[in-house]
Amino acid sequence: MNDADVSKQIQQMVRFIRQEAEEKANEISVSAEEEFNIEKLQLVEADKKKIRQEYERKERQVEIRKKIEYSMQLNASRIKVLQAQDDVISSMKEAASKELLNVSHHHHLNLLSHHHHEYRNLLKDLIVQCLLRLKEPSVLLRCRKDDLHLVEHELDSAAQEYAEKANVDPPEIIVDNQVYLPPGPTHHNSHDLYCSGGVVLASRDGKIVCENTLDARLDVVFRKKLPEIRRQLFG
Amino acid sequence: MDPFKGQGGIQMLLIAEQEAQHIVSNAKDEAEREATEYRSHIEEEYQKSISENTGSSGSNVKRLEEETNAKIKNLKKSTSKVSSEVVDMLLKYVTNIKT
Repeated sequence: MNDADVSKQIQQMVRFIRQEAEEKANEISVSAEEEFNIEKLQLVEADKKKIRQEYERKERQVEIRKKIEYSMQLNASRIKVLQAQDDVISSMKEAASKELLNVSHHHHLNLLSHHHHEYRNLLKDLIVQCLLRLKEPSVLLRCRKDDLHLVEHELDSAAQEYAEKANVDPPEIIVDNQVYLPPGPTHHNSHDLYCSGGVVLASRDGKIVCENTLDARLDVVFRKKLPEIRRQLFG
Repeated sequence: MDPFKGQGGIQMLLIAEQEAQHIVSNAKDEAEREATEYRSHIEEEYQKSISENTGSSGSNVKRLEEETNAKIKNLKKSTSKVSSEVVDMLLKYVTNIKT
């Protein structure tokens, strides 16, 4: 084998090695590209997952906040309706309270009127009812100054009626001439204490009191009949 | 013959290795950049949905308010018809004395 052949063979070997190196370098490059893509994909997906979870949580919070706000608004709306119902009921009581004045008011205008007799009878019945509740042999009575003459007019018949019903002697009824029940309400003293009529009786020692004013009776009736009134008004 | 001439292949392989390492290490930066883009896209969508929701919840509030006012109006209208009956009933109980 001469030098030329040797040189030729060496050249061939060099070419082969270079080709192998190029192929290997190419392989490394392709493998690196693949690794890059896999690595990047994994990192991106992990980040995206985190971001998605974060925003899902944010959206859930927004939803919850929305539901809470709507629930609060719904509640406020219900309260508003209930308040309106209460206002309607209060206005009924107020209207009844104003009407009460008519029950006791007319007797000032005409002492012989039908209303005058009606109110006088009412006062008598109120006194009798109190006496039946107190069951005392001696009682104190308070009324409005305006009603004093009517009350005094009815005392005997009230005491007599009570005695018959309770099967006892007629009681002693002492009318308080010092302290009267407040007068009916007017525009000037609408915030002061007032009394639309009726009487208050008490035992002599003041331990038992029977409040039978028209206003007190209205309060009792109103409280007692409230469920019925609600049904009648709102179904 | 140049003894370093055969070194070219080895050099080529070394360079290929270095480039490969560089490519792989770039993956993190690329991923971060893509994730940032994705985040800004999602944020944009989120803000959009929030502003839409705000609008719709505003109209819900208005609707609820209108419904409530209508209820109250009907309530007052229907109760005004029976109010005198209620007042009469109360007065009857106040003035009817059971003895």
